[in-house]
Amino acid sequence: MKLSTKWLSEYVNVPVGLKDFCDWLDLTGTGVEGVEETGAQFDKVVVGQILKKEAHPDSDHMWVCQVSVGENNLGKDGQPEPLQIVCGAQNFNEGDKIPVAMVGAEFGDFKIKKSKLRGVTSCGMNCSERELGLGNNHEGIMILPADAPVGTPFAEYMGLSDKVIDLEITPNRPDCLSIEGLAREVGAMYREKVTYPTYNLVEDADDATADHVDVTIEDPERCPRYTARIIKDVKIGPSPDWLVERIASCGARPINNVVDITNYVLFLLGQPLHSFDFDKVKSPDGKAHIIVRAAADGTKFTTLDGEERDLTSDMTVIATPEREVALAGVMGGLDSEVTDGTTTILLEAATFSPGHTSRTSRNLGLISESSMRYERKVDDRRIERNADFAAALIAELAGGTVCKGLVDEWPIQSQPAELTFRVPRFCAMMGADIAPSEIVDILTRLGCEVSVGRHKSFNVVAPTYRPDLEREIDLYEEVLRLYGMDKIPPTLPGGRERIARVSETEHIVARLHRTMSACGLNETQTYAFADPKELEKLGMDKREDLGEAVELINPINADQSVMRQSIIPGLLDSVAYNQSHGVADIQLYEVGNVFLGVAGKALPREKQRLAGVLVGKMAEKTWNTDPQPFDFFDGKGVLEAVIRELALPKVRFKVLEADEAPWLQPGRAAQLNAAGAVIGWVGEIHPLAAKAFEVNGPVVAFELDVEALVKAAQPARDFVDVPEFPPVTMDVAFVVDEAVTHEMLVQRMKSAGGKLLDTVELFDVYRDEQRLGAGKKSMAYKLVYRAADRTLTSQEVDKAHEKLVKKVCGATGAEIRG
Amino acid sequence: MSIQDEVMQLRDETLASIAAADTTDALEQVRVAVLGKSGTLTAYLRSMGQVPKEERATVGKTVNIVRGEVEHALEHRKEDLSASELEAQIAAGAVDITLPGRMQQMGTRHLISRITDEIAEIFHGIGYTVESGTEIETDYYNFEALNTPEDHPARGLQDTFYVVDKSGAVKAVKGESDVLLRTQTSGVQAHVMENQKPPIYMIAPGKVYRRDVADPSHLPQFNQVEGLVVDKGITFGDLKGTLEYFVKQMFGEERKTRLRPHFFPFTEPSAEADISCGICHGEGCRFCKGTGWVEVLGCGMVDPNVFAYADIDPEVYSGFAFGMGVERIACLKYNVPDLRMLLNGDMRFLRQF
Repeated sequence: MKLSTKWLSEYVNVPVGLKDFCDWLDLTGTGVEGVEETGAQFDKVVVGQILKKEAHPDSDHMWVCQVSVGENNLGKDGQPEPLQIVCGAQNFNEGDKIPVAMVGAEFGDFKIKKSKLRGVTSCGMNCSERELGLGNNHEGIMILPADAPVGTPFAEYMGLSDKVIDLEITPNRPDCLSIEGLAREVGAMYREKVTYPTYNLVEDADDATADHVDVTIEDPERCPRYTARIIKDVKIGPSPDWLVERIASCGARPINNVVDITNYVLFLLGQPLHSFDFDKVKSPDGKAHIIVRAAADGTKFTTLDGEERDLTSDMTVIATPEREVALAGVMGGLDSEVTDGTTTILLEAATFSPGHTSRTSRNLGLISESSMRYERKVDDRRIERNADFAAALIAELAGGTVCKGLVDEWPIQSQPAELTFRVPRFCAMMGADIAPSEIVDILTRLGCEVSVGRHKSFNVVAPTYRPDLEREIDLYEEVLRLYGMDKIPPTLPGGRERIARVSETEHIVARLHRTMSACGLNETQTYAFADPKELEKLGMDKREDLGEAVELINPINADQSVMRQSIIPGLLDSVAYNQSHGVADIQLYEVGNVFLGVAGKALPREKQRLAGVLVGKMAEKTWNTDPQPFDFFDGKGVLEAVIRELALPKVRFKVLEADEAPWLQPGRAAQLNAAGAVIGWVGEIHPLAAKAFEVNGPVVAFELDVEALVKAAQPARDFVDVPEFPPVTMDVAFVVDEAVTHEMLVQRMKSAGGKLLDTVELFDVYRDEQRLGAGKKSMAYKLVYRAADRTLTSQEVDKAHEKLVKKVCGATGAEIRG
Repeated sequence: MSIQDEVMQLRDETLASIAAADTTDALEQVRVAVLGKSGTLTAYLRSMGQVPKEERATVGKTVNIVRGEVEHALEHRKEDLSASELEAQIAAGAVDITLPGRMQQMGTRHLISRITDEIAEIFHGIGYTVESGTEIETDYYNFEALNTPEDHPARGLQDTFYVVDKSGAVKAVKGESDVLLRTQTSGVQAHVMENQKPPIYMIAPGKVYRRDVADPSHLPQFNQVEGLVVDKGITFGDLKGTLEYFVKQMFGEERKTRLRPHFFPFTEPSAEADISCGICHGEGCRFCKGTGWVEVLGCGMVDPNVFAYADIDPEVYSGFAFGMGVERIACLKYNVPDLRMLLNGDMRFLRQF
């Protein structure tokens, strides 16, 4: 809401200091969003006085004037000194007060400079009305009243300077969507007296309003009150300047006198009005039969802005027996609007249900000054005054005559709320002792009627223009905000049973973050919105465990119109972003939710996932390090770190076949299982998928389910004795077929090694067609033998090792490489 | 020359060789040549039998004395040589310590997570438990249970993303739905009050969504931290004190807090909290638009209607709630010039924190 301080000052004293005023508005709950100062075009134009007027020595029609501008021009001695101005006008005399544009004043492109006119220096200009843009009179300079104070800025003297404060009015304060309401608020803030707007209505037509119009409200819930007035013989024309200035300060543009008056009343009193051209809404019997009713589904209706709109039965229309003429509370109809030819006005002042108005404007995407006020509730008890105020102004400015009486349908009257204010409870809740006298004072200033009740309480009657004051707590808020939140002493809650708990999931997620960081991965966040085509692009669309896509009804972009089912596409986009900005080494991870829609269910399954991508290498080669390019095993290594950190039991990496994970490069894809459940996958993104995301591979990626990790994690690990006796280490290299996996060999070694075999570690994989044969590889292991209770003898170890080698060879066809 | 003289000559030669040996290796050679199995001095010891009987005692004594002298000299010389060799080794091993170290590359935490963690730690320290909720929420928990019924004008202030309702339910307003992306973490309040009995001291960090086109100062997806306290005897002063404590912890002891009355459907009285501007310290500058204050969060006393939805008696319990934008704090603390940097995964940005 734009608040013209000039307009406001007609009803209440406006504090002099603008900054203090804005601060106090802020601190009492009326947020200030900005201040705009008008009248700046009259910068350097001041009230001057002609001290001397002499004929120009070299011209027969120009004058050389000495013009006082007060302290705006000082001589060398620091005393005011008149300006010499050459002037061609003839309509002034010595002693006249005039507007003077001093050097530096600007009128559009025209700038006042010190100049010479026929050899005589001129330091400014005496201005005509036209030069100032105030009218068309340029017969001579503008002569100001004799009491105009010399030196005063012209804008200030003329009342043309204004400071318009842009206010954020919260939805609970419809009363502040009017100058009158703001005057009341400012009066309450400063304990200032408020003069409310007055009017003088003369019903000077011979006939009664009821002779011309009747009103039927079909559903009182939608329209608690509807009034009509008729103003005859109006002359539609432009509004006077003061009216244009007023509505312009609130952001409306002038249309014609009648429409401008309805806007003026809207801004001044907060009452939306609608003016119909009576002749366009009357029935063949010459009378307007106004019906307020639900629109019929499918009705087409063209609003004032020329848009044709589809109506539903949830919307309310103003209709005649013949047709719809307005969309109640939102906007009038195009073909009943007031035009230059209109002579009789049917003036509607009503109130409509907030819910219907809100839904109508949301459904149509049409928010108007009216709908905004009806949505927040317009006070039905002030409609009569508001209608009369507007009618009086129309009669005054458009020259009409007002018919007698108000046609008034008022099926539902709102009642002022009667509330109890318990002072001790209030003070206890605020944590401050606030004097009862102060409470009474504040509530009274806000328009409440306060009387003393029982048990240290007050009985409070709230005014109907404050629909937000329905409950005791609402009054607490009012008292607190005007008492001053700054006066409440700060304390901390003393709750005895306050204990901060950390859930298992939180613990584990925190541990996952630490593990990722230790593995060199950088946390990122990507959009939870996704492109509906991205899963297909990645090759992940066939996964049944991802459910259906969750679609947005009102997305911002088509490529962000569903919710993600995997974090990987977002991470791939980030990889592409980095690569296109010259960053080649990328290690990213994200912990976030994915959304798996379920047919027939309102809410999707929401799963927290941990996903990561590794591209390039860990870092650039340096003088003493040479990081290797990432491959499958870097991703697997990250998972192994997670497995260690969470002590996951029964871990198994299972080969993912091409048809199980089409988004991964076959042969470099694995599923992680632990404690009998699927935890997630790791692999290298399929080269074609990487290409589709405009990413240069290889891209190592993984995605794990956090809930599955939490379930599988073992919070406590068993203690194992630290070895006391020395180990014996034996190396062995098995030459096996390519098909024999590390996992198979390890399983065999472990089962054959028995209790004495402590650890098995692979230290070399070697392939050489000539030495080993085609399709063969050498797998070299370091085996550590150890007993918990004694030092092993070499005979014991030799025996065990021999047995192990024999068994492994027998089971896998391995040969020992000599 | 008598044997005696020969031994004395060998002594002099040997001591000279020891003095001349300039490495421990050379010294060892001298030792072997003199005292080794077939060393020159050893030879005299071995051939003692051939020495005439009458001279044997004298020669034997001399040889033993010489051996002692030689051994002593060897030891001394060895110490000297070892010390200088170690010195040389150390001198040769000096490195340019300004060369970069061999560092393990640690990963980094996202700025928003860092701030969220910091907030959580501050509140954890004063007894608040972290709660969470889903990002896709029903109308009921996001609005209704928070005293924002259907058609409430406050709904219009939050541009809501609506989700296709797969249950097939239809709303009165075209384009709206019972299922939505939560616009605020406040919904967690409603869930927690429904499922737990007071006292409740909780915060709920999480992602929220509003229909704003991404630009340097807006994101359609951002993060909030919600706070809720429900207990007996909770006052507005407690809310104020808690926020002042938080602000000082988060932004520094010198920062001041002020509350401006505001409106939120789920709290009453409601307020917005400002902190004194960190750039001008309250004098007024361009950053704070001349006010000396910058907004950090919204807050208020829990509205009795919200308690009613959760079946908590507002005559027995009172409480406060607050909510803050994490990105906003990122801007205030780290001067992030463009919020979109938080979502594009730029390694050069991420690795700064």
